[in-house]
Amino acid sequence: MPGGRDLKNDILNSSLCTLCGACLDWCPYIKNLDDNLVITFDCNVAEGRCYTVCPRTNTDWHQVNSSFFTDADWSQEIGSCVKVYRAKSLSSIPGQQDGGTVSALLKTALEEKLTDALLLTGSRDNMQPESFITNSLSYIEKAAGSKFLASPGFRKIMQAAQEGVKKLLVVGRPCQIQALRKMQVSQADQLKDMDIISIGLFCMWSLSWEFTNYLQNEYPGLTIKSMAIPRHGVEIMTNQGVKTIPTAKVREFIRPGCSYCLDMTSELADISVGAFEAEAGWNTLIVRNSSGTELVSKAVGNGLLHVEDYPENELQLLKSASFNKKARNLNSIKELIANDAINPPVNISQYDYLEEVNS
Amino acid sequence: MEWMITAKEPGKTYLLQGNEAIARGALEAGIRFAAAYPGSPSSEILTMLGHVAKDMNLYAEWSTNETCSFEACMGASMSKVRSLCIAKQNGLLVIGDALHTAALSGCKGGVVLVVADDPSAHSSTNEFDARHQARSAGLPLLEPATFQEAKDMVKWAFDLSEELGQVVMIRGVTRIHHGRGNVTLGELPEQLKEPQLVAEWDRLVAINWFHDLMLDKLDKARSIFENSDFNSYEGPDNPELLVITSGTGWFYSQEAIDILNLNERVGLLKLGCTWPLPQEFLLKHLRQTKKVLIVEEIDPFLEQNVSSIIGHNPNIQVEISGRSEGKAFPRIGELNPDLVRNAIAGMMQVSYEAPTSIALPADEQVLIPPRELTFCAGCPHRASFFVLKQSLGMRPAGGLVMGDIGCYTMGGQRAGHYGLNSLGCMGGGVNMAEGLGQLTRFGFKQPVIALAGDSTFFHSCLPGLVNAKYHNSDMLFIVLDNSATAMTGFQPHPGISVTAMGEKAEAISIEKLAEAIGCQVTVADPYDVENTTETIYRLTKKPGLKVLILKRECATLVLRKGTRRRMWVDPALCRGDDCGCGRFCSRVWGCPGNIWDYTAGKAQIDEVVCIGCGVCASLCPAGAIKVEGGEA
Amino acid sequence: MMQQLIKDPLNIIICGVGGQGNILASELLASALVEKGYYTTVGETYGASQRGGSVMSHVRISAKRQFGPLIPFKEADIIVGFEPIEILRVARDYCNINTKIIFDTRPNYPLGVLIGEAVYPEINAISRELQALCGSVQVVGATKLAIEAGNPQAANIAIMGSLTALPEVPLDPADYFEILKTRFTGRVLDLNVAVFKLGYAAIKQ
Repeated sequence: MPGGRDLKNDILNSSLCTLCGACLDWCPYIKNLDDNLVITFDCNVAEGRCYTVCPRTNTDWHQVNSSFFTDADWSQEIGSCVKVYRAKSLSSIPGQQDGGTVSALLKTALEEKLTDALLLTGSRDNMQPESFITNSLSYIEKAAGSKFLASPGFRKIMQAAQEGVKKLLVVGRPCQIQALRKMQVSQADQLKDMDIISIGLFCMWSLSWEFTNYLQNEYPGLTIKSMAIPRHGVEIMTNQGVKTIPTAKVREFIRPGCSYCLDMTSELADISVGAFEAEAGWNTLIVRNSSGTELVSKAVGNGLLHVEDYPENELQLLKSASFNKKARNLNSIKELIANDAINPPVNISQYDYLEEVNS
Repeated sequence: MEWMITAKEPGKTYLLQGNEAIARGALEAGIRFAAAYPGSPSSEILTMLGHVAKDMNLYAEWSTNETCSFEACMGASMSKVRSLCIAKQNGLLVIGDALHTAALSGCKGGVVLVVADDPSAHSSTNEFDARHQARSAGLPLLEPATFQEAKDMVKWAFDLSEELGQVVMIRGVTRIHHGRGNVTLGELPEQLKEPQLVAEWDRLVAINWFHDLMLDKLDKARSIFENSDFNSYEGPDNPELLVITSGTGWFYSQEAIDILNLNERVGLLKLGCTWPLPQEFLLKHLRQTKKVLIVEEIDPFLEQNVSSIIGHNPNIQVEISGRSEGKAFPRIGELNPDLVRNAIAGMMQVSYEAPTSIALPADEQVLIPPRELTFCAGCPHRASFFVLKQSLGMRPAGGLVMGDIGCYTMGGQRAGHYGLNSLGCMGGGVNMAEGLGQLTRFGFKQPVIALAGDSTFFHSCLPGLVNAKYHNSDMLFIVLDNSATAMTGFQPHPGISVTAMGEKAEAISIEKLAEAIGCQVTVADPYDVENTTETIYRLTKKPGLKVLILKRECATLVLRKGTRRRMWVDPALCRGDDCGCGRFCSRVWGCPGNIWDYTAGKAQIDEVVCIGCGVCASLCPAGAIKVEGGEA
Repeated sequence: MMQQLIKDPLNIIICGVGGQGNILASELLASALVEKGYYTTVGETYGASQRGGSVMSHVRISAKRQFGPLIPFKEADIIVGFEPIEILRVARDYCNINTKIIFDTRPNYPLGVLIGEAVYPEINAISRELQALCGSVQVVGATKLAIEAGNPQAANIAIMGSLTALPEVPLDPADYFEILKTRFTGRVLDLNVAVFKLGYAAIKQ
């Protein structure tokens, strides 16, 4: 098992880091400020958990998948799946985006004591994300809405473990859910007594924090309230009204590590939630295993969440969007390998199925 | 020791440090004024004069820099009292401009400038031969060879200075300044000279018209030197080899001639007055020999000047060896008795049998680890460099740190994670950073940081800071304020509320000074590693000039005050080598207080040196390091 | 009061690490010798010694004249040290087959050892090499004695006690106490006298 030096060489120096935060706070070498994550001092430890839990280090995802999803259908586009719904919250929560499904699930989990605490990500001024652990309903509002800027929120899993949290519900990006599964598979001591329910978010990419600097330079005195990506472009809600930024401009700020991501729908989460593109006010909800089923049925039973069968044609569109991300990014990985830019190369044979579908 | 240098016991012999002997000599000369800026190996002179100033009815100050001290002496000289200025060789160059004008104006009351050279740079950035400055400025120069001479020469230099109306320079070396030996005390004056009224035309002005007058004074000094007892000759009338020495070279040569049993064959000419050279005295002895060896510290100063005298006297045919071209001695570095003995033995073709010693075969010898210099246990600079490394590491292109002179200069070595990109002279850091910081306009991306200690800040950073502010350079200026001139032994400076004489003074606030010229000033604690890392990171992201004061008292002062807290490692919590941290406390943090207990395989605190700063406790991932009274 | 020396000049090196009290030790010793009428010279290297560097004082004693501040290589008659690897470092350069060595075995770890890049040698291996290099090697637990007497920082005075017990050194403990009295008073003086006696007894037996 490799260690910190390898993490530095293989991941950080190769710009593969997704800023999931999983490696942070396990050891004194890895430090983070804003969206910079660095190993400043020479870590001489040959083997390290940092490398093991990193979602970008070489992993047999089929094996991870089979550890958590035994009796679900698996599809090459969206992973394991018990049921796909379109869903919306029945009580409106300020700040919610689309259908408010995540907020409704969080509320249910706390009220039904399915969890002791929530790991959520909120925003400070100007969109800068900040993660926190809470067991208070009022904090759910603070975390509502999409973030778009990467933040190493999953460092807080360590904090929760140190504080003795036994049941934790985490909400995260696909890479963060991958890291969580790797933590669980590696049977880290700190996590062995902790039950974790995971809600994974759909994600195309996340942005570097330089994006806010760009906005500040472009519109001096700007205060950013939130951001959304409707089909026609990128909209920034600000104190100076809505600013539309060309998609091509926004793409310049996509974190390089996001170009190698093969997961749009958080395939390893218990539940995945994303936008429902066909109609405003709804979410796409994928239930992937029994703990996901339990939480969703309680939310429905409590009257907090309304679910409906997912329209078949929309499911095809969802799958095709996910497939396109996979295919595009797999090509990026192959380019890296061809240029000797990553070391050790990712075992891409496990993605051979994509080739077959593609051809 | 103060009581020795003020003892009214003429004829009594004490063991005095060279610096003490110099201070005593100044007291015997009846000085009323002394000023200096600290610099090893000269610092003890003014420290001591400051301590005895009140009792001995003189004024002593640690000036803000060397030029302040020298020109203050020149000012005092106008009232005809005697003044002593002390500097190390780097400090002499700070005086440089003033020195060259003072040589034109001359002085009224005696002014003696003692300069401590540091061959091999034991406590300096560079070895530099101060004697060139005496020649360049046109000042008489003396070099003591013994501790007794260090005292006697200072006293005589004041008489000489007043006789010539000229500043006299004395050049010592580390082995004299920091060495100790027998010194027999002379008389202390019954009465001290009171400051005199300065008459209307009694001026000290430097104009080029006085250049000629300055040369006349040198000529007069030369003729005095011809008969000075500080120059002497010992040996046969016609020596096979004439050894010409100054300073400590005399000790080494004398011992070598003795031990090689060459007293009947080799002559030893000792020069105490080395600029202008006592030409007739030298010629007299040069005519009697064919071979000359010059034994002097650092540059071939005597060698070149003696060669020049020989060049003007074609009837003298001698072969001259010394430091030039590494002929007899290495071109650089300090002399020692072995080098001198070998040189003389070589030229005289005699051999020397050293005492027998038996070394173990190489493969049986112990491998001795080198002992690098490091910051003291608990030193705030260790934390500052740790924080700098972390915060600049957080910037994708890293950053540059311009160093300066002080204990924190060691930050350029392993102790500071090789954390300096430049190192020059006092005040050099802020100026270099100003230049580099101007290049952001052309797309230069790396943040630029300059460091300065609190004493260095006052010494030479103010003009640099004003320059950086006025031109709004994109840089962060960090003052490492440990409330001390720690490197040289804790002399007061303008930021400290007590003077060299122990009098109360109004300390000048670095923060307010910087604010007064319009700088944004932040104050942080280097011990607060996490927050200060973020503070530096944020400041380096802002455009323009920023000032950060990292304030934390020098650990040695804490040790002296006895206010340290106890720290220990809880063996139940320390995971030892099983911890994923890889001995972060001792290996990375690297404080002498964090040691490793190899038998237990766990971390340990060395309670003899630990001052209880608590920083390592905040870094230990297992929380195993405990501080008395809880939170660090 | 001044007597002929067994060897003239008598060359003594006191070595250790910055902060261990090297300078004070050499200054007290030399002062006591000057007080007895000897020419004594001390050469010290302590530019940045507060920062944990190697420190070495050369003490040269003569009944005839003032000697220079540096001892030639291989010509130390006695070497005393507060730190094992420092004494070995010095011994390799300065000792001969007649040199006597007294040292404290308490290690002071250099930075390279603290950070794990270098290994601190075994004390036994150091002793073995010293035995081979020199005439005699004696160990004094100076720090231990100083802690016993109440202050670990007085280890330098304990070593001075041990040094004074050697027949080559023309001093009696009483000479040393006279000098201590000019520097210290009260409890500190008592402590130093007590520590000196412990160090003296450690060799004298």
